[in-house]
Amino acid sequence: MRTEDRLLLAALRHSARRTVFLCLTSAAGSAAALLLPTALGHTLDLLLRHRAAPHLMLLCAALVGASVALDAAQTLLSGTTDAKTTAWLRDRLLHRILGVGPYAAARFTPGDLAARCTGNAATAGTAATATASLVTTLITPVGALVALTLIDPWLAAVFLAGGPVLVLLLRTFARASSDCVSRYQRAQAAIASRLVEALGGARTIAAAGTAGREAARVLEPLPELSREGHRMWRIQGRATAQAAVLVPLLQTAVLAVGGIRLATGHLSVGELLAAARYAALATGVGAFVSRLAALVNARAAAARATEVLALPTMLYGDRKPPFGEGQLELRGVTVVRGGQPVLEGLDLRVPGGSTVAVVGRSGAGKSVLAAVAGRLTDPDAGEVLLDGVPVPLIDRAELRREVGHAFERPVLFGTTIEDAIAYGVDAPTPQRCRAAARAARADGFVSLLPDAYRTERARAPLSGGETQRLGLARAFAHCGRLLILDDATSSLDSVTELQISQALAHDVPARTRLLIAHRASTAARADLVAWLEGGRVRALAPHHELWRLADYRAVFEGVADA
Amino acid sequence: MPELAAHGLRFLRRRWRVLVALTGWSLLEAGQTFLGGYALARALDTGFLAHRTAVGLYWLAAAAVGIGVGAVGTGRSFLGVAGLAEPLRDALVTRVVTGGLRDAVAEPHRADTAVVSRLTQQVEIARDSFAGLVVVARSFVFTALGALVGLLSLSGALLLVVAPPLVLGLAVFALALRPMARAQRAFLTADEALAEAVGQTAAGLRDVVACGAEEHAARWIRSGVDAEYTAARVLARWGMVRVAALGLGGRLPVLLLLVTAPWLLDHGVTAGALVGAMTYVTQSLLPALQSLVQGFGGAGTRLTVVLRALVRGGAALEAPEAHAGGEVAGAAVELRQVSFGYGGTARLVVHDLDLVLPVGTHLAVVGPSGIGKSTLANLISGLLRPDSGEVLVNGEPAGRSRSRVLIPQEAYVFSGTVRDNLRYLCADPVPDEALRRAAEAVGAGRLVRRLGGLDAAVDPTALSAGERQLLALGRAYACPVPLVLLDEATCHLDPAAEARAERAFAARPGGTLVVVAHRISSARRADLVLVMDGARAMCGRHAELLADCGLYRDLVGQWDAVGSGSQPAGALGYPDGVNPVAGTGLAVDGRHVVPHRAVTQVQPAGDLGHRGTLGGE
Repeated sequence: MRTEDRLLLAALRHSARRTVFLCLTSAAGSAAALLLPTALGHTLDLLLRHRAAPHLMLLCAALVGASVALDAAQTLLSGTTDAKTTAWLRDRLLHRILGVGPYAAARFTPGDLAARCTGNAATAGTAATATASLVTTLITPVGALVALTLIDPWLAAVFLAGGPVLVLLLRTFARASSDCVSRYQRAQAAIASRLVEALGGARTIAAAGTAGREAARVLEPLPELSREGHRMWRIQGRATAQAAVLVPLLQTAVLAVGGIRLATGHLSVGELLAAARYAALATGVGAFVSRLAALVNARAAAARATEVLALPTMLYGDRKPPFGEGQLELRGVTVVRGGQPVLEGLDLRVPGGSTVAVVGRSGAGKSVLAAVAGRLTDPDAGEVLLDGVPVPLIDRAELRREVGHAFERPVLFGTTIEDAIAYGVDAPTPQRCRAAARAARADGFVSLLPDAYRTERARAPLSGGETQRLGLARAFAHCGRLLILDDATSSLDSVTELQISQALAHDVPARTRLLIAHRASTAARADLVAWLEGGRVRALAPHHELWRLADYRAVFEGVADA
Repeated sequence: MPELAAHGLRFLRRRWRVLVALTGWSLLEAGQTFLGGYALARALDTGFLAHRTAVGLYWLAAAAVGIGVGAVGTGRSFLGVAGLAEPLRDALVTRVVTGGLRDAVAEPHRADTAVVSRLTQQVEIARDSFAGLVVVARSFVFTALGALVGLLSLSGALLLVVAPPLVLGLAVFALALRPMARAQRAFLTADEALAEAVGQTAAGLRDVVACGAEEHAARWIRSGVDAEYTAARVLARWGMVRVAALGLGGRLPVLLLLVTAPWLLDHGVTAGALVGAMTYVTQSLLPALQSLVQGFGGAGTRLTVVLRALVRGGAALEAPEAHAGGEVAGAAVELRQVSFGYGGTARLVVHDLDLVLPVGTHLAVVGPSGIGKSTLANLISGLLRPDSGEVLVNGEPAGRSRSRVLIPQEAYVFSGTVRDNLRYLCADPVPDEALRRAAEAVGAGRLVRRLGGLDAAVDPTALSAGERQLLALGRAYACPVPLVLLDEATCHLDPAAEARAERAFAARPGGTLVVVAHRISSARRADLVLVMDGARAMCGRHAELLADCGLYRDLVGQWDAVGSGSQPAGALGYPDGVNPVAGTGLAVDGRHVVPHRAVTQVQPAGDLGHRGTLGGE
C-alpha cells in the first residue's frame, strides 16, 4: 500500500465514527430520493382517478421531509468531518515541520510548505467525505436505473442506448482547454515578473519619475492575457452547452418512448412522471465521476502531505550538559549536501571560554560548520560534543538554552520588537532584553520607533542591518555557554561591528564563541582562527600568525571592507 | 460596501451592451425551460392521453429542438460572462500594478512583494468568483422566468401553488446571506492567517529551532488551525440553513402540488398540466435553486473580500517627466537649515544641515551604518521632503528639479534590450554611439559587448549584482544631467572598477557628483567629504578631516587598518585585510571647493535613516 493511502486510511480511522454515520445518512438520503418518484407517481395516479390517497400523500411528505433532514445532516456532517480531518492532518504536518530541523525542511520552500499545510491539507481532509459520498453517488444512479427497468424495461433500454453517446460527447472538451490555461498562466507570469523587477527598482523609478512608463511596460502582456482569458471562456461555454444538451435530450427520449407506452396503455401518467425523474437521477453517474475525481485529488494532496511527513525528525536526548565553559569539539565531521561533501572528516576543538573565528572562501562550508556545531543539523558522519557530551544526547530545551545562534539574515518572530528579542525557550526579563539590545547596538534605532520596544513589528519595517542587530540581541538575551555568530554582523559597518564585539566581551554571558567571519578585522579579534579549506580545518592559529601566509590573505580578497 | 456596490454598478453600466447580449442568449435558455414543461403537458393532454401518439411526439420533438436552441444560448452566454469577467480582471490587474508601483515609488524601502500574490491569486479569485456569480445568478433568474411563465401558461392556479414557497425559500436564503458571508469571511481570514503563520515559520525554521522556540511556533500555527476549524464548523452549520431554503423553495412545491391536486383538477387543471408543473419544479427550479444557494454565498463573499482588498486606493500615476538637462543656475546643490525625521516620536535624522556644493564638486558622504546617508541622498534628489529648511538643486527646489540622477545601491535592470536599459533615463532619443561611449566610460563596455551589443536582450536574473550596477552606472552617464548621486551604487564592484566609474563621473565637464561612500577610497578621491556621525556632520577635505574629525579618523582607521595592529609590521604589501587599492589621495584638482566648515547639528539617527537601502549595508 502506498504511503499516501496509509495516511488517508489513518485520516479515515481518525474520523471513523463520523464517516460511518455520514455513509449511513447519505445512503438513507439516496433511498429517500429513489423512493420519492414512485410514491409521487402512485399518488398522482390515484388523484387523477379522483380517489383520495391520504396514506400515500403522507408517505410522500415523509420522504420529502426525510430528504431535507438527511440532506441537512449530511451537509453538517461532511462540513465538520472535513474540518476535523483537515485539522488533524495539519497538526501532524506542523509537528513534523517543526521537528525535522531547518536543513531537512529546506527541501521545500516556505511557500510550498504553507500550501501543503493549507490548501493541500484541506483537499486531503475531504477524503473521508468524498469516500462516503462516493457510495451514494453510486447508489442513486444504479437504483434509478433499476427503478426505470421495473417501471418499463423499454425505458431502461432507451436510456442505456443513449448513455454511451452522452459519455463520448462529454469527453471531447477536456483536452482543448489545458493548452489554453497554460498560455493564460504564462501571460500572467510575464506580468508578475515584470512587476517584481520594477518593485526591486522602486528607488530608481522614484528618482527618475518613470512610474507611469513602468506601469505601461509591466502591463504590456495584458492584451495577451485577455485574449487567452476570452478563449478559455469560449471553450468552457462550448463544454457547458454540450453538457446542457445531453441530460434533457436523454430524458426527452425516455419521455417519448414512455409516451408511446402510455398511449398503448402499458404505463400510467404517474409512472411516466416517475420515469422522467429516474432518467434524470440515472444521469447522476456524472456526479459519481466528479466525486471520484475529488477522491483522486484528495489522494494527490495526501501524497503531497506524505512527502513532508516522510522527513525524518531530529531526535533529542534527555541529558543536561555537565557544568562547563562551553567547550566545543567536532570529531571527524562529514556533511554532504547535494551529493557533494561540504565538510569532510573535519576535526575542531574550540576551548571553553575562547573565541574562535572560522574563515574560508565562500562555499568552504562555514555556515554548515556553524549549523553542525549548534545542532541545527546533524552531520552525516562524525560527532559534535559540548563539554564532553555528544549533542544528540542533550535535552532539546537544555541545548537551546546553552547554545545561542545569530545569523546573517535572521528571521524575527513575535508581535513587538520586545517579543522578537525575547523569543526563545525561556522568556528573558524586559531588562535583560534591553541590555541585550544595547549590547547589539540596537537600542539606538529601537528608541526612535513610535513605541520603542513595544512597537509592533508590522508597523516598523526594518533594514537588513537593523534586523541583524535584533537577531544579535535575541541571541545575547538568551544564550548560555556557547554563542555561534554566523556572519551576524555582515550588514554593519566596521565601527558598529567593533562596538558590538566590545560589548560582546563585557556584557554577554556566553563564555565560548564561534564566529563565522568574512572580514579580516573580525578574525583578528578572535583568540584563534579556524581556517577552513577543502572541507577540513587547514590551520587553527591566531590571525597574526596566519596572516604571514599569502593563501590565507587571499581568503579575504574581494571582501568589501565596510 | 456601498462604495464597492457603486463601483460595481458603474462597471456594469459601462458594459450595457454585454448585458443586453447576455440577456438575449439567456432568454433562449429560458425558452428551453418553458418548453420543457409546456411541451410535456401538451404532449400528454393532446397526444398520448388522447391516444394521438404522433401529436405527443411532435410536442416532444419541439421540446428537443428547444433543448438544442437553449444549449446554444447557454454556450453563447459564456461569451457574455467573458465580456464581464475579463474586463474586470483587466481593470484589477491594472489597478494592482499601478497601485503597487505607486506605493513602491512613494516609499521605496517598503516595496511590498505581496503585490505579486495579489496579482496572481487574488485577482484570479475575483475573476472566478465574479464569473461564478454571473453564471449562477443568470441561470437561476432565467430558469425561474421560463418555469414561472410556463406554469402561468398552463394554469394560473399552478403558479399560485408553486410561487409562494419558492419566494419563501429565497427569502430564507436572502436573510441568511449576510451571516453566512460573515462566517465565510471568518473562514477566509483564518485560512490566510494560517498560511501566513506556516509560511513565516517555515521561512524562519532555522531561527525557531536555534531559539528552541518550537512550542511557541506550534502554538502560533495551532491557533490558526483551531481558528479555521471553528470557522469551518460554523460554515457547516450555516450550510443547514441553505438546505432548509432549498427544501422550502424547491421540494415543498411538489408536495403542495400533490395536496392541492384534487382542487386543481376540479378547477380545470389537466393531468398533463399537473405533470408539467411537477416537471418544472423538479427538473428546472430545484437544480437552479440548488446552484444558487450553493454557489452564490461563497462566491459572493470571496468576491467582496478580495475586491475590498484590491480596490483600496488606486489613483492614477503621474505622467513620466522628462529630464531638463543643461542650464545651471547657482550652486549645484544647496541645503539650507535642513531638518528631517521619519515622523512620529522618531528623532531627527538630519538636523539644521547647511551645505553648498558649487558646480563641478565631487562630494563623498561617509559615516557609520544607518546614520542617514541614504536619507541625505533622498533629500537632495527630492525623494524626501525636508521637515524644515530648503533643498535646492541648481537653484530649484529639489522636489521639482529633474536635473539630477540618483543611482541607488540596488541597481534596477529590467528585461528588455541593453539599449532600452541604457537610455532609460533619457527623455530624447540618444544615438547608439553615445550609449556605447557611456558604457565604455563607466567600465561597462566589456559587459555590453559580452551581452551581445545594444540590441541584445537582458535577463536581469542572469547578471551579477556588480554587472547590474555597471549597467545602471552606464545609464546615469548616458543621461546628460548636471548632478549625479551615487548611493553606494558601486558597492558590488571591485575597488578598481569603482574607482574607474567614480572618476568617469567626476570628470564630466560641469558635472557635480555626490557619492555615498561604500569604501573609504571613495572619500579619498573626492574634493570634499561629508562625515555624518549622528551627533553632527562635518564637511571638509580628506586631510583636514583626518586632522579635525575623530570619527573620520576612526572610519579611515577601521577601513584601512582592519588588522587592529596585529599585522606583522611591514612584512606585507598592505596591512592585514585592508582594501588593496590605494586611494588617490586628495583629489582637489584646482577646482573651487567650499571652504572647510563644520556643518551644523545632525542628530543621532540610528538606522532609521537607512531604510532607503533594501538589504542594509
